[in-house]
Amino acid sequence: MYHAIVFLPLLGAIVAGFGGRAIGAKASEYITSGFMVIAAILSWVAFLTVAMAHDDHSATVQVMRWIQVGSLDVNWAFRIDTLTAVMLVVVNTVSTLVHIYSIGYMHHDPHRPRFFAYLSLFTFAMLMLVTSDNLVQMFFGWEGVGLASYLLIGFWYKKPSANSAAMKAFIVNRVGDFGFALGIFGVFVLFGSVNFDTIFANAATYLPAEGAEASTDTVLTFLGYSLDKSHALTVVCLLLFMGAMGKSAQFLLHTWLPDAMEGPTPVSALIHAATMVTAGVFLVARMSPIFELSQTALTVVVIIGATTAFFAATVGLVQNDIKRVIAYSTCSQLGYMFVALGIGAYGAAVFHLFTHAFFKALLFLGAGSVIHAVSDEQDMRRMGGLRKLIPTTYWMMIIGTVALTGVGIPGTLIGTAGFFSKDAIIESAFVAQNSAAGYAFVMLVVAALFTSFYSWRLIFMTFHGKPRATADVMHHVHDSPPVMLVPLFILAVGAILAGVVFHGYFFGHHYDEFWKGALFTLPDNNIVDEFHNVPFLVKWSATIVMLLGLLGAWYMYIRSPQTPASLAAQHNGLYKFLLNKWYFDELYDFLFVRPAKRLGSFLWKRGDGWLIDGFGPNNIAARVSGLAQRAVKVQTGFLYHYAFAMLIGVAALVTWIMLGGIH
Amino acid sequence: MTVVELTQSLNIAAPELALAVGSMVLLMIGVFAPKDSANSTVTGLAVALLIGVLGWMVFFDEQGTAFGGAFVQDAFAYFFKILTLVGSIVALVMSVGFAREEKFDRFEFPILIILATLGMMLMISATSLLSLYMALELQSLALYVIAAINRDSARSTEAGLKYFVLGALSSGMMLYGISLVYGFTGHVGFTEIAAALTGQERSVGLLFGLAFLLTGLAFKISAVPFHMWTPDVYEGAPTPVTAFFAAAPKMAAMAMLVRVVTDAFGTVTGDWQQIIIFISIASMALGAVAAIGQNNIKRLMAYSSIGHMGYALVGLAAGTVAGVQGVLVYMAIYLAMTLGTFAFILAMRRKDEGNVESINDLAGYAQNNPLQATVLTILMFSLAGIPPLAGFWGKWYVFLAAVEAGLYPLAIIGVVASVVGAFYYLRIIKIMWFDEPESKFVSAAGELRLVMGLSGIFVVGFIVFGGPIAAYAENAAKALF
Amino acid sequence: MLLTGLGAAFFYLFAFVAIASAVMVISARNPVHSVLYLILTFFNAAALFILTGAEFLGMILLVVYIGAVAVLFLFVVMMLDVDFASMKRGALDYAPIGAMVGIVLASELLIVLGAQFIGVGQPGSVASPTPDPLTRTNTAALGDIIYTDYIFFFQIAGMVLLVAMIGAIVLTLRPTRPGVKRQNMGKQVARKVEDSIDVVDVETGKGL
Repeated sequence: MYHAIVFLPLLGAIVAGFGGRAIGAKASEYITSGFMVIAAILSWVAFLTVAMAHDDHSATVQVMRWIQVGSLDVNWAFRIDTLTAVMLVVVNTVSTLVHIYSIGYMHHDPHRPRFFAYLSLFTFAMLMLVTSDNLVQMFFGWEGVGLASYLLIGFWYKKPSANSAAMKAFIVNRVGDFGFALGIFGVFVLFGSVNFDTIFANAATYLPAEGAEASTDTVLTFLGYSLDKSHALTVVCLLLFMGAMGKSAQFLLHTWLPDAMEGPTPVSALIHAATMVTAGVFLVARMSPIFELSQTALTVVVIIGATTAFFAATVGLVQNDIKRVIAYSTCSQLGYMFVALGIGAYGAAVFHLFTHAFFKALLFLGAGSVIHAVSDEQDMRRMGGLRKLIPTTYWMMIIGTVALTGVGIPGTLIGTAGFFSKDAIIESAFVAQNSAAGYAFVMLVVAALFTSFYSWRLIFMTFHGKPRATADVMHHVHDSPPVMLVPLFILAVGAILAGVVFHGYFFGHHYDEFWKGALFTLPDNNIVDEFHNVPFLVKWSATIVMLLGLLGAWYMYIRSPQTPASLAAQHNGLYKFLLNKWYFDELYDFLFVRPAKRLGSFLWKRGDGWLIDGFGPNNIAARVSGLAQRAVKVQTGFLYHYAFAMLIGVAALVTWIMLGGIH
Repeated sequence: MTVVELTQSLNIAAPELALAVGSMVLLMIGVFAPKDSANSTVTGLAVALLIGVLGWMVFFDEQGTAFGGAFVQDAFAYFFKILTLVGSIVALVMSVGFAREEKFDRFEFPILIILATLGMMLMISATSLLSLYMALELQSLALYVIAAINRDSARSTEAGLKYFVLGALSSGMMLYGISLVYGFTGHVGFTEIAAALTGQERSVGLLFGLAFLLTGLAFKISAVPFHMWTPDVYEGAPTPVTAFFAAAPKMAAMAMLVRVVTDAFGTVTGDWQQIIIFISIASMALGAVAAIGQNNIKRLMAYSSIGHMGYALVGLAAGTVAGVQGVLVYMAIYLAMTLGTFAFILAMRRKDEGNVESINDLAGYAQNNPLQATVLTILMFSLAGIPPLAGFWGKWYVFLAAVEAGLYPLAIIGVVASVVGAFYYLRIIKIMWFDEPESKFVSAAGELRLVMGLSGIFVVGFIVFGGPIAAYAENAAKALF
Repeated sequence: MLLTGLGAAFFYLFAFVAIASAVMVISARNPVHSVLYLILTFFNAAALFILTGAEFLGMILLVVYIGAVAVLFLFVVMMLDVDFASMKRGALDYAPIGAMVGIVLASELLIVLGAQFIGVGQPGSVASPTPDPLTRTNTAALGDIIYTDYIFFFQIAGMVLLVAMIGAIVLTLRPTRPGVKRQNMGKQVARKVEDSIDVVDVETGKGL
């Protein structure tokens, strides 16, 4: 079964990728989508047998031997436990729906087989990542999704912006991947293995017991620092987290995610909302046994996560591109997840990952439906008043927004998916012992306010008010075909019900029997039990700010639509700062891109062109061709010249041999 | 010389005897055969005769010294004679189609090839300066005539005349050298010369003679600065003749050179070594550089062969068994590559223009005939010495021998020259694959395709069966030391 | 065996004339003169042969080279209307380089010979010494070895001549050229007196 889950998408990718021309676009779509449906159904079966059952069905499925060099022993195997099962469900469900949705969304595109091949390839790589049994295999999947992401962002390769966005995504991820690779090496040095079982077994006894003498032996030398065991562990965790930051677009390495919206919208929904960007969260959750041992690393995770949540939310407030708003929202929500990871609420993090996949995919696909309706227009300033024209999409977007902002009544079971997962994180942040937890709590609450504001702003600007698009565009507005709407319905069901159904399992009373040890927490970490016992105001805080955000958006975009402009004019500096995404792109351009380009162009023009080519190959080639001209000239064709040459030759030889012979 | 000795000698020299008698028989057949079928009959019989002799040599390994020490049949002679015979046979076979198309139907051509081959085999076996000179003249005279055989073509006649005059000059110099060597040692036999040189202190006059002798030999392998005839003769002679010139006589002349310096002058290695080093470097450099300016593929092959002789001489300059082994291996590989390349040159034939010789005529060969273009590309890569093809291994053996003998500068210059020389081989490949196609060639004759195929297989497969060839060459090289 | 006295005097005479006339061969303006000087050179060479006791070779040289080859040369040169002077003009441009090469070679040759014993005589070691002409004539002595010990070289020489003959025929014989008169031996032999001679009794004072 697990083989089928993982390899069906690969098979689909191969068939559509290499045989797409032969079998045609329609067949490619149906084959890949069909395989994905099977894989998705099997994933739910796996989820039910592994996660929801009482008995422990965790397993390691061996696929084949891979690398055996010295003490490095890497096998290709599937590690099946609850965490993997959850990820399988998320990945395959969203992927399947995106496949189906794309049949409608992409039906004008001439390169559909390629598109579906990439989608399936991505899914395969993502499945490799989440089923991996060791860090090397995970790295393979990690790079595989990076590659697929690159290919899909640049799918419309004739658009220069798409190409540069694809490169940006790839290059920024390289920074993170470099850290990840170093982290893997570090893990191998510290634990002597890259297999999760061995790592986790060793991690438990790695640090001396409480009170025992801490060893100060150097176990790792990094950047010239000799590190003892606990510091080495921190460094390794931070390196691994660096990889997670890159993939999950966390603060400082987030710049690629908004640009990645250049790809087709289904891609954004699949890769840049629901699955690939959560790989970082998955990595930290998977490596929880060693992250738990380093408070410093966890604190960094919390700070980065909280900062990202806040920062991305602020930027989201002023963006005008419908997809970019959702992209920043994704970034922000990933920050929530990392905060949850950092404070030890791994269950909450994965729970939010799970629910977020539904409602964010819903929002993206809904946005895709909107874009589809208004003739590929993405700027919200040229939308408006679409509510009546595309009612189904409108209601789907409302559901997504409600789920994202977390509508619900605290203390009851009434609430959307986001309500349960997000509030759990905010409350956990309040009770957590991490030194940065207070900061995180404040940031997350403010971010929740902003989230509510920009989400409703999106709804109001897109669907309410007067139409701002041209009459021609408005004339063509139409609701999407069923093949695009059905996935929206399924996701909407998930967005509404995922929270209420699963919250007890992921981060509640059934925590232990659900996870079965897939997530590791230190014995003194009992955040799962504590987060319910928070003050009334804290419990209501998220809901209150959500309502405030809704009110603010309503006031500014329905009641008095001139307010935003005047506000922007009053606080021009702040507005520009936010609109330009805190000037991160400009800063990076100044700090890294341009110096690198200058260095590159110096090495190219001066170093390679002038020095090496000029004095090396080109110079020699010029000399040689000059010599060749001369050599040709000597060959006059006159007999007596030839005879002369021979005589001169013999004279030279005789002279030489005699001079040599006299010695 | 007693009758027994004479019988023994004739027995040992049976292959040469067969060629000599066979050539005269064929001459009679040619004279009395009907005019229109004389050429094809004689060509067929000549090929059969050469193959018969080759088979004889392979199956009856009759070794020994004959004619009072003027002639020797040893492993070394066997190795080179087989190469020479292969070169002659292939060149003759390749001439069939050409003769048909270009009205080049003279039955004397195969007979002259046989006589030249006889001369070459005698050269290879010569162990006395006298037999060496006689054999050389037999071979040269036949070659002069062959070069000019297309007597209605001004270019062919010019080629023959130039070759003849310069050849006569070199023969004169060589004869002068021989007379000096005879004068200062009192002997013409190689063993006697070697014996005379061990006893006494070698005189300057002997060196003088040695230099002149080597001049004549260097002319025959077209080593710089005695190479000037090569491009003109290669270009002017009919293409099958050029193919023959590039293949068989080079084998014989190289064999003769190797035997003279190692057998007769083995005791004064230091003296001839410097001359060999000089002409080796000069040949490699000129072969690499001058070919760049050529547009005629036959001229280009002329410079290519000059360069290759330079590389082969690197092995001889080492003066060791390994070095001579390298020369042998190199010559075998050179033979295969050259014959293959000339098969392609002969196949460069258009319906309306007949045979063409410009490199630019190869443009688009890859599109018109991808398979043949691939084989030619492989041959060019091999000529350029790119691993893992045969050409690389040839260079490997000679350079390794040079390095082992401590001749580092020579090896380094050789490597640099082969890098420069790679340019024009790669240029041909570039023209074939990337230039705008010209009109197609007519499809190559069966015998040409066979030669292309065999040579391609040899070049690619050398890495597999090169070991036995190298072992055989080593065995042959040991016969001289 | 050193030449002394009269023999030595003649040796130097012939040698000097030979060299001098060889120089004249290449420097004479008129090609006919060149060939005549060549003949003179051959004569002196033949004389040198005779001086060393090789009468047979000397006579052969006279008969073959002078009697046949050189005279043929002379006819060819006389019959061909070639402006040799203009042909030589180009070559003379390179006279300085040629002279330099010649001087270098000559001086080296002098060094070589200077280091050796200068004298006139036969090589110290020969494979088959010339027998005393009184007991066995020179021609017979040559015949003793040329068909026995030197049979190999003799045969190769025969092959060389064969090649030369084939070559000459290949390069020059044009069986289809019009207007060439050929000897037809059959016809020649079959000719009868009656066919070729007509005996006519002509009366005096009258024509035919």
